[in-house]
Amino acid sequence: MTDGQNRAWFGCLPGCEAHLPCGQGQHVIRWEAGELRLLNHPDAEAELVLAALGGEKVRCVEVAQAWGQHAGDLSVLAIGPRGPADKIAVSWNDLDTAERAAQRVGQLGYRPPSVTSRPPPALAAASARQQQAMHDRERAMRRRNDMLSLLALGYGFQVRLLGQVAEAHADQPEEAMRKIRPALVAAITARLAPVAEEWLGIDPDQVVVTPHRGPGWGSTELTGRAEQRRLRVSLPVGWLARVWAAGLALTGRHLVVAVAQAGWPDARVLALRAPGTEPVPLDVHATAPGLADGVLDVRPDAADAPHWEV
Amino acid sequence: MNREGAETFLRLLAEAEMRKQLAPDPPPWAGGPGSGRVKVYVVGQALIAVNALDHEIVGDVLADFDVAVSVRRLHGATPARTVRAASAARLAAQLQPGRPRPPLQPGAPGPPPAVLGLWARFARVRPTGSTGSPGPAAPPPDHDPGEGTADRFVPIGLTVPFHQGNLSGELYLMSFAHTGSDARLIVLWGKPTLSREHELGLQRAERFPVSLFTVTDDRGSVYELDSTYNDGSEWISQINLRPAPPDGIRWIEVAAPPGRAVRVNLNPASGPPRGGDEASAATLSAGEQLLIKLAEELLVAAQFPLAMRPELPAAAPSVVQSMGTGLGGIIAGLEAVDVLPPLSPIPARLAALCESLRIDGHEIAAAPADDLPEPWLSLLTYYQRRKPDIARVRDGFAALTAALPVLDGIRLALVGLHNTQGTTVLHVLARGVRREERLGPHGINLDFPLSFWLRDDGGRWHVAHPAGWHPADHEHSIGLLLVPPLPRSTEWVEVLAAGRSGEVRVRLPLRWGSPP
Repeated sequence: MTDGQNRAWFGCLPGCEAHLPCGQGQHVIRWEAGELRLLNHPDAEAELVLAALGGEKVRCVEVAQAWGQHAGDLSVLAIGPRGPADKIAVSWNDLDTAERAAQRVGQLGYRPPSVTSRPPPALAAASARQQQAMHDRERAMRRRNDMLSLLALGYGFQVRLLGQVAEAHADQPEEAMRKIRPALVAAITARLAPVAEEWLGIDPDQVVVTPHRGPGWGSTELTGRAEQRRLRVSLPVGWLARVWAAGLALTGRHLVVAVAQAGWPDARVLALRAPGTEPVPLDVHATAPGLADGVLDVRPDAADAPHWEV
Repeated sequence: MNREGAETFLRLLAEAEMRKQLAPDPPPWAGGPGSGRVKVYVVGQALIAVNALDHEIVGDVLADFDVAVSVRRLHGATPARTVRAASAARLAAQLQPGRPRPPLQPGAPGPPPAVLGLWARFARVRPTGSTGSPGPAAPPPDHDPGEGTADRFVPIGLTVPFHQGNLSGELYLMSFAHTGSDARLIVLWGKPTLSREHELGLQRAERFPVSLFTVTDDRGSVYELDSTYNDGSEWISQINLRPAPPDGIRWIEVAAPPGRAVRVNLNPASGPPRGGDEASAATLSAGEQLLIKLAEELLVAAQFPLAMRPELPAAAPSVVQSMGTGLGGIIAGLEAVDVLPPLSPIPARLAALCESLRIDGHEIAAAPADDLPEPWLSLLTYYQRRKPDIARVRDGFAALTAALPVLDGIRLALVGLHNTQGTTVLHVLARGVRREERLGPHGINLDFPLSFWLRDDGGRWHVAHPAGWHPADHEHSIGLLLVPPLPRSTEWVEVLAAGRSGEVRVRLPLRWGSPP
């Protein structure tokens, strides 16, 4: 029996912080127990209103907004990191550059001609199409910039957002699941395949994933030889949030398939020594993510991933 | 249709491509930065073409793929670009809307409109507002006003000279077609001769002066005339007769000043004899049909520089090379959604075609087949000679007409053929199709799903490729570019039209008319 249904998905994740340029200084955003906190903005909502009225934009608040908007966005699973070795090094300078580019596009954007008479229907239709294309482009740029700002928070925040998105879709009814299952299958495959490569030396292209539903942790099976070799794995979508996002996926040469008792820095997990076997309980202990200059600093590299040992 | 399986396949493909491209030491078949995207794109298009996916999902997958790859490249080293990858990247760039065709050499005569249209298709030029990739096939019109009415197609092959004021010229009558409530002459305009005043632009000239012409029938009725043009060329057009002549009319006369009227016998029996139709049933899957169209597109692309510039000694291979990208993925995707039988012979034939065209990186799992269809072999022979006919085919037009049996709900009528500037265009009237600018993977035309070939009396095959299209509610006028072009010495052709449900072969004599 796992405590997956009884405890929050982030039980094995410690808090993390990121520094970002905001206004005239460097501010701190903190993630703690599934919540994002803006340490330098005690009244974020009021600042949002001011920004909407033409006040100075507040990056911390914008990032928090983007976080909320994308907390259920399946694109986060398609774009986000595949593991600690998958470096997504977006800097705040990159974001500034992207935002300036978006502004230029906005300034150069389509403006309807100033005509006194009604334009002919064909011209009006072309104009409408052009405006629609421009709006689509601006929306895509906003979305891309949102994503860049979330990625710029660093690996620790990236995996936590990914966990939140996965958890949001973990227990959908079958009808809803039909629409999102392809994205979830790809998301689990994307993260399990490199883990399986490290675990068994199998080619990541030979990992076949199906989402597990119902009681139990799922199943694994290794079949075939050479090019026909396949590792067939069935895991619940929540594995991404509870196990992978916590950095537990491969611990002590075992594939962790579930968390039996969540906690930080000590937890009990269910893990497989080999495919096709039954999972065994393991007590695991984590060491904190890397420290930089004695300060917890979230950076987009492997040092931000906790290290678990049996 | 396994739509969930289709989306899963595409997303997993995108994941695998991203993994390959971002590997510290990417395998040689990864193909560089552009090719992964092209693979995902073409496989997505193939799955759209067989109605397994819609545009929105493919667009979402591509958008995520683009962001995922780009954020990983922001500060990292980019894998080395191979020549092949550069080709793929060029192709990816061509996928952008509005990309212009390559510049022509100054002073060189421009390629004919049909060829320009073909280039536009290879360059993925899309109309404004079009997504440029195919959508689910729309059903043909519910009601065809011409349905049930006996059609009449008469080959003509006569020339009507005209001269008035400062304008002289000739009108070539290729055929008369009466379908449903519409009757028209399929004509080709000869190059008009303008007076010096016209040439200097001092006086506005009507280059195609339909208003000079009169058409009367054997009962003395005079018809109102107007013309419509294919979107590829205005030299070929239809002169519509209004109202349509009643049944029982034996002849019409076409007249223009100052000459005598030219009489056109409307008795079909007056035309040259035509061979019997041979029809056979088939049960092609949607996936097989798509792969056959892809093979034909490859063959056309391989011939394309020859078709455009016969004087060039060799075909530029880059476009053809790029077209190998993603073929293996397309086949796997079609199999995954159950629209391609596992034992289908087409993938092996496509692999053999790629080998013959020296297209590497196609990633087709099937071993190349030993046997290729005769038409494919014929075009391959033409391509591999890399030596086009010594002389460009002579200009001219041929009167031919034939109404083909319905194939996959599409009824085609052949109404004429002409050679201009080294290219051959066959004119057909089509019912049961829709003009939606739907392009499949590597630019295949999904609006015209049939496979269409001509075999000339020398045994050489010519593939037909839609190049000009004048849409209408129920009957479309389509110009099919023949690759390679048809010599004027050809006395007869065998037409082979094939769809999913069957194929038909018709042997037709050609009656060549005066050169335009």
